[in-house]
Amino acid sequence: MKASGMARAITLLAGILGMAWTSVACAVPAYSRQTGQECAACHMGAYGPQLTPYGVRFKLGGYVDSDEQGGKLPLSAALIASFTHTAENQARAPTASTKVNDNAVIDQASLYVAGRLAANLGTFTQITYDGAERKAMLDMLDLRYASSLDLSGKELVLGLVLDNNPTLQDPFNSSPAWSFPYVQSSVAFEPGAATLINGGLEQRVLGLSGYLFWNKSLYVELGSYRSLSPAMQARLGLGREEDPGRLGSGTLYWRIAWTKDYKRHAFHVGAIGLNASLQPDRGQPARNDYRDVGLDAGYEYLGNRRHMVSVYASYIHERQTRGALLASGGAARLHGRVDEFKLALSYDLRETWDVTLARFDERGSRDAMLYGDGYTGGRPDTAGTIAQVDWTPWGKEGSWHEPWANLRLGLQYTRYDRFNGARRNYDGQGRNARDNDTWLLFLEAAL
Amino acid sequence: MKAGCALACLLLAAALPCLADGAAERGKDVYASECSDCHSVQPQKNKKGPTLFGIVGRRSASVPGFRYSDVMRNSGITWTPEQLRRYIAAPKQVIPHDRMKYDGLSDAGDLDDLMGYLQTLH
Repeated sequence: MKASGMARAITLLAGILGMAWTSVACAVPAYSRQTGQECAACHMGAYGPQLTPYGVRFKLGGYVDSDEQGGKLPLSAALIASFTHTAENQARAPTASTKVNDNAVIDQASLYVAGRLAANLGTFTQITYDGAERKAMLDMLDLRYASSLDLSGKELVLGLVLDNNPTLQDPFNSSPAWSFPYVQSSVAFEPGAATLINGGLEQRVLGLSGYLFWNKSLYVELGSYRSLSPAMQARLGLGREEDPGRLGSGTLYWRIAWTKDYKRHAFHVGAIGLNASLQPDRGQPARNDYRDVGLDAGYEYLGNRRHMVSVYASYIHERQTRGALLASGGAARLHGRVDEFKLALSYDLRETWDVTLARFDERGSRDAMLYGDGYTGGRPDTAGTIAQVDWTPWGKEGSWHEPWANLRLGLQYTRYDRFNGARRNYDGQGRNARDNDTWLLFLEAAL
Repeated sequence: MKAGCALACLLLAAALPCLADGAAERGKDVYASECSDCHSVQPQKNKKGPTLFGIVGRRSASVPGFRYSDVMRNSGITWTPEQLRRYIAAPKQVIPHDRMKYDGLSDAGDLDDLMGYLQTLH
């Protein structure tokens, strides 16, 4: 085993894991201008990304619903700025332009192409400037064609979607790309393990899926992904350094869900999966195989929109066969697993004030090499609780400058019970999980 | 006896507006959960659907500035309470192939309350 190979494998893995820890918050008033509807029609709490049942149908319909007035440009801009404080300083500044603590950064300044491009063709595409990393990149890509037909009196929507992150195309609030927290600090701590389906391929791949949505209830999707070449990743502003490697041609993404919208309340249950084989060193044939299977569910009480409650839960199990990591010395065991559990409960008052309490728990099987430095007991286990309160003054009918502007101000606290395998001294240097507790004050704005 | 009847009538007369207000208030909630995503109740405020202000008694496809489907424009309907009720209960049966994707409101009580609320919008 070459030391450089091991370092590369670990770097690649860290890169994969790090990519799972980015913000997904988004709100695009371009949709509001296109449809004449306020943000609150599609989003719980009047700000993205948490979709209402109506928002789910708008997405699966291809982002093409409109008020038929024409002359609407599918363009929006958005900003996320934050201040992050951690209980104890980080060992190193998280990026070249930040400090070891108390960082005020522009997390994202984004341009969206969002809305109807043609009769049945719509998109949700985001180009982002990352203020912490000081680089611009193609962030989210969702380009879809959808058409509906009548099937014995029931509507059947058929669609094709091109996207750059497995689950980005998913419409439900419990799938990895869209689950709480919707905003996370870009300069705080990153847990040591995540499943591949939970952001591990984010932005570095291109996928094509076909889906059907029958009777506003049954959702079935099947698709595959190919990795972008390092040169293409560089051209898109992503850099070559965090290239996760080449995906095998048999990559399979699947999703099935059942949802019911009773108007005053709604629910969904589903299963999701990703089978992928990743060649981390494109010059070597060795591969790591990932088999991800997840279950998720959600319930939303919308009532008369003055008091709303939502609860989402998901569990993902990943089975890893780490041939490449084992060959390069990045892992001690060929087989391993990662399990992720998430639960989030939110209350919304008058589509303006939100309180959310969430629990996350990530566990992995023991591997002294893969989870060596910075871990205890060869385990990546990380668990904690997130509490958030946020204020969204606009985004409703009659709001200031509706449908041109939206704003959210939030305060989030993350408490770690366990980090990288232990509650205390997880890194062997005396650092405790609670030292990573994070306060995040954030501002989101969109126009 | 006459005095008793008069008192009962008086109490009933006093209660009727309250009962109507209660139905309209409940109807406002039904509107919020069933209609408000696509329809405003503000005058001249169109969303994906036309404003519901003044809907009762209005001719179909008559809100200025809203682009209706051909089938709605050609329907020739006037939204009397009876016609509107029938439409909200099963829109695709009353006007097939219209753009409105709403499946209909089947609960008779909710429909009563909603109609009560819509009739206050003028």
